[in-house]
Amino acid sequence: MSDFKELDPVLHSQLRLAVISLLISVKEAEFTYIKEKTGSTAGNLSVQLQKLKDAGYIEIVKQYKDNYPQTICRITKEGIDAFEIYVKNLQSYLKVKK
Amino acid sequence: MQNEEFSGQAGLDLIQSMINKARNQFGENGHLYLVWGWTILFCSVSQFVLKHFFDYQKHYLVWMITWLTLAYQIFYILKYKRKERVKTYTRDILRQVWFVFAILMILCAFIIGRTVGVDSEKTLTPVFLSLYGMPSFLSGKILQFKPLEIGGMTCWLTAIVALFIPQDFLVLMFGLAVIVAWIIPGYLLQRKYKRELV
Repeated sequence: MSDFKELDPVLHSQLRLAVISLLISVKEAEFTYIKEKTGSTAGNLSVQLQKLKDAGYIEIVKQYKDNYPQTICRITKEGIDAFEIYVKNLQSYLKVKK
Repeated sequence: MQNEEFSGQAGLDLIQSMINKARNQFGENGHLYLVWGWTILFCSVSQFVLKHFFDYQKHYLVWMITWLTLAYQIFYILKYKRKERVKTYTRDILRQVWFVFAILMILCAFIIGRTVGVDSEKTLTPVFLSLYGMPSFLSGKILQFKPLEIGGMTCWLTAIVALFIPQDFLVLMFGLAVIVAWIIPGYLLQRKYKRELV
């Protein structure tokens, strides 16, 4: 894994990268939507969302909608910046490898 | 999906696939284009028929149906918003475009009605047709959907044509404009939406 030294460890995980890639394309998304699109389990997704939140990459809002709990996620400015840097680093790594 | 590390190319592929998944979700289903398109077409043809074949004096009353369509639209949007699990910038911008269109229609009808008076139909028709083109063209640009762009430009063309045709036929220009600007793109959007769902 030494080749990936420069890559952000928070984003360099399949599920967390999938979540960020999804959130970068939308304004905000519900937990159930993210779960469906990433094909993950609720438990695993909750843990990974919390890690992204702790890194400051996403915001999580918990509220009630029609008497049901609802979890909404949106990407933050830090999350967008981190994602852009991650993609750039990934591209330059692939160029070097070629 | 696993929570493990992966190769560089797999990372880029994953990003691409997630962005595509999100993009396919926001497809416009064309429903409101069709509802409004058929409403305007019905009103336009009905007014023409009532005026010319039945000599009915209050032929313009047929346009009251649009209030029912507006009520349905509000109900539909509220119902859709309740079910909405994801919010997109595209949808937000589109809503604002149609909101501006509705405000401009009401303002123009009011201003022209007040200033021009009885002969307002001759002025109102080309102005309304010009306005019809705006949301269609912008929606086409935002959704990257050419039929809507063409529809919008057709509305502007009909606005010019409306200046040169007899007043009795003016109302039919609305029908013609919405067939190209809303009904045809509406069906094409519906087909595209269903295809993307599969």
